[in-house]
Amino acid sequence: MSHQSDSLHKPCGQMKDQGLKTQKPHPPVMELILRLRQLIDEYSRQLKIKHLQEDLEQEKQRHSQDTREQEAILVQLLGEVVNLLQAGATSSLELQLPRLSLDSRGGGGQQAQLPRKPDQLSHQLSDSKAAVVSCDLSNRGIDISASYKSSFKDFIAYQGDKYHEDKNTLGCINLGLSENKLCIDLLTERLSRSDMNYIDDDLLQYPDWSGHAFLREEVARFLTYYCKAPEQLDPENVVVLSGCCAIFSALTLVLCNPGDAFLIITPFYSGFTFTSSLYVNVELIRVHLDSEITEADTQPFQLTVDKLEKALLEARLKGKKVKGLVLINPNNPLGDIYSRDSLMEYLEFAKRYNLHVIIDEIYMGTVFDESIPFHSVLSMESLPDPNRTHVIWGTSKGFGISGFRFGTLYTHNKEVVSAVGAFGFLHGISGITQHKLCRLLQDREWIDNVYLPTNRSRMQEAHRYITNRLKTLKIPFLSRGSGLYIWVNLKEYLDPCTFEEEQLLYRRFLDNKLLLAPGKAYMCKEPGWFRLTFSDKPLRLKVAMNRFSQALLEQKQYWVEKQMKCVLGE
Amino acid sequence: MATLPKKESRAPTTCLGLDTNYGDGLERERSRKPDHKRPEHYGVGDPTTTFSSDSSHLSSRGRISKWFWDSAEEGYRTYHMDEYDEDKNPNGIINLGTSENKLCFDLLSSRLSQSDMLQVKPSLLQYPDWRGHLFLRKEVARFLSFYCRSPAPLKPENVVVLNGCASLFSALATVLCEVGEAFLIPAPYYGAITQHVYLYGNVRLVYVYLDSEVTGLDTRPFQLTVEKLEVALQGANAEGVKVKGLILINPQNPLGDIYSPGELRQYLEFAKRHELHVVVDEVYMLSVFEESLGYRSVLSLERLPDPQRTHVMWATSKDFGMSGLRFGTLYTENRDVATAVASLCRYHGLSGLVQHQVAQLLQDRDWINQVYLPENHARLKAAHTYVSGELRALGIPFLSRGAGFFIWVDLRKYLPKATFEEERLLWRRFLDNKVLLSFGKAFECKEPGWFRLVFSDKAHRLRLGMQRIRKVLTGTLRVAEDPPSSRTQEPRGQHI
Repeated sequence: MSHQSDSLHKPCGQMKDQGLKTQKPHPPVMELILRLRQLIDEYSRQLKIKHLQEDLEQEKQRHSQDTREQEAILVQLLGEVVNLLQAGATSSLELQLPRLSLDSRGGGGQQAQLPRKPDQLSHQLSDSKAAVVSCDLSNRGIDISASYKSSFKDFIAYQGDKYHEDKNTLGCINLGLSENKLCIDLLTERLSRSDMNYIDDDLLQYPDWSGHAFLREEVARFLTYYCKAPEQLDPENVVVLSGCCAIFSALTLVLCNPGDAFLIITPFYSGFTFTSSLYVNVELIRVHLDSEITEADTQPFQLTVDKLEKALLEARLKGKKVKGLVLINPNNPLGDIYSRDSLMEYLEFAKRYNLHVIIDEIYMGTVFDESIPFHSVLSMESLPDPNRTHVIWGTSKGFGISGFRFGTLYTHNKEVVSAVGAFGFLHGISGITQHKLCRLLQDREWIDNVYLPTNRSRMQEAHRYITNRLKTLKIPFLSRGSGLYIWVNLKEYLDPCTFEEEQLLYRRFLDNKLLLAPGKAYMCKEPGWFRLTFSDKPLRLKVAMNRFSQALLEQKQYWVEKQMKCVLGE
Repeated sequence: MATLPKKESRAPTTCLGLDTNYGDGLERERSRKPDHKRPEHYGVGDPTTTFSSDSSHLSSRGRISKWFWDSAEEGYRTYHMDEYDEDKNPNGIINLGTSENKLCFDLLSSRLSQSDMLQVKPSLLQYPDWRGHLFLRKEVARFLSFYCRSPAPLKPENVVVLNGCASLFSALATVLCEVGEAFLIPAPYYGAITQHVYLYGNVRLVYVYLDSEVTGLDTRPFQLTVEKLEVALQGANAEGVKVKGLILINPQNPLGDIYSPGELRQYLEFAKRHELHVVVDEVYMLSVFEESLGYRSVLSLERLPDPQRTHVMWATSKDFGMSGLRFGTLYTENRDVATAVASLCRYHGLSGLVQHQVAQLLQDRDWINQVYLPENHARLKAAHTYVSGELRALGIPFLSRGAGFFIWVDLRKYLPKATFEEERLLWRRFLDNKVLLSFGKAFECKEPGWFRLVFSDKAHRLRLGMQRIRKVLTGTLRVAEDPPSSRTQEPRGQHI
């Protein structure tokens, strides 16, 4: 990870202690002590060097022995004085310290304690980490909780205060979550039809862990058709698990030893960070993209092979074991699509360096602008390195049924199929759900004639509405015809342009009962970007955009007041 | 999945209290001879050793995972490819190895087809509360309060719902232990737990070996005592393995045994003394078909010794015979643990529609109490009576005390040599004769020759299965009595 914070290397117990500290030790005394310590250390180091030289000389041995003893006593005495001073300072100035260091988790388990992996989320976590104080959890357990709380805190609050057009008009509207709420009516109707309600002994028993054969066959047929595969995809290459996160974590686990790394194009969907760094113990190395257009980059946030190469070589120089590359196409949060040529270049790059490529195509079904051609990696005539190319897809986005918990892997690599397939018992899907999914994917007539056209036109309409509102507000944004969201540039509203200010603006939206996703959550290196989901009902979008404008207005007023104060203060 | 033929993870380690000079040649020589074999009280599992499945693309963890898969192919997946069917495949394999209750599909299918099950609400199709939908957690709390006879109503906030107990083991191991730390587990035990805690969590198991022989103060075979727990814990500590908790399966799998409230309390007190977490797997809680046993859930105890470190799991896989439903739940008073496990639910979630169905099912006390449970218990009892009768007629000793779906069968006398190679050969002979059983090594039993036989299947399949078993065993006795030269299977033992 490119930003390594020193504090992260400390055992968790220490971090926790620091989080709890309310008082700092008296700075001058502490400084003095530290300075003294440094001096003594330096002194004794120099003495050692000197002694070594003396030893070599083999002269005045007896004399040097005497001085050495005297010096040793001196050093020891000085050390004791410092220790005393230090103990006095801490016990008088910071009573918590001794008590907290008794925490049993602090010291023990040395052999088991690996150096903790710094991860991208951690620096955001420091607040919530302090809140998670438990002597029952492991260090990673604490991190997992903290990460969850920090990324879902507001989501959980939202769930308690959801907007409802009649019952809770002052409730919170969530445009921060990437969910397609436009076609729930169609899906509810389709899923209520009688063919869905089939119960069979086989559905109630332990399944084939890689997924029921009937579903894997249907997934292969579905992907062959909608990804425009040159030839029939093979059901034996399909693994079905409980969601794309599950696929991603199982896949990275079987490809990486603990601590190995994957390259990831940034900004990216932060759910992956969470998965990999904490559960699987895989490092994600960010390949940062810029919003600026330059000679080399003809588009904002453009991915080039140069950038990939540079990131890879830098990581390797640092001794990282990079095992592969993660691509999200269509991209989240950019709403961007890779052209066939660029896709090929990235795959060729990966092949050159023996990297696996994990391609997440979960947004495949959200391309609402038909003029933009989407190319699934499965549509390619010949893949540069089929045994290292692994495709992820699910129904959460395209079909808007995130509550189904379904994700699938397609890979030609039989070893990977069987290794990931073995995770079925940890990420299994109910047989009943598998049946429903199979029926849904099978019903081409409904998909092609009812669902897809309706979904596309509703998405276009919602997208048009939001982009018009943004244009009226003169707010720049990126959106290229896919995804459920718009990548909005609110840099102008940050002064100074920092992540602190971004967080403040995020709060201001939240105060106006509007939940958005700040760029920081996508590890974007430039403050001021927000992801705004547009795939919601028109009425809610309208209320949401009113709140959006209101929040920005307040932001401007806050500036004016701030400047006034400055002027008056002078 | 208990039929997974398990590779010997590591030779059981040195025994405690005896000299540890096993490194020296003479000692090793002596210990190799079976006669001089010392009693082993515990062992530390290490899944990383001995896996050498060749692969150019997989990581070491990937190879272990693939190994689990490939070895499953041998039993479980062979079965799936050649499943017995009365009409279509009468020569197919009968599965008496997987612990599933196949006696009540008729009742369950009809209940799950009723109209209340078929509701589709928008909220069920969207991202859930990761702990599980509140309506389901409330229902789980009510259900467990009633059937576990908890002294006070259990709370929905203490409930986390996910897709099965395997996931729960994985999540708990990760949030309670650091990499390389361990749980104590009395062996024999449901062997798949090894993978569950290892794949993501990198957590190991320390086996507390139990004996079939009744010695000392023991009153029954394979009895767990606090003394044995203490010995194993000290042994693990001496080897530098940090133990974080204790896993108890109650009713026990594969012994079909239950712990008395008094024993349970002793184990919990032991854990408290050593500040260990206790994970109690009660997935067979309602499958106690011998009511005189007086089964008590840990949630029924008046005051838990260490409630913050006691975590209970339950699921519908066994008690409602629906392993394919993928529903499991955790009950813990420790909010930090509940939150940490919930944080991992995005990898182990279950569909909102299934959550609705489970809630409807658990709610229907009339059906559970008047239809399902009495009928299920009666059918379990009948099947059990039949199979145990057959075993007695064959003169085969076994253990079974009226809980669970299986009988723990002692086939030691059918092994020409008391080795796990021979145990495996016998297992393969069963499979060749189209009946799948689970061998004791898969449960980390330290004595070769024990098998788990699942009896919760339809009468005609049981009859055929028992015929096939009888055929193998009568043949085997003859083979075993033959002079050793006539046996040809020896090299296949290398296969392990």
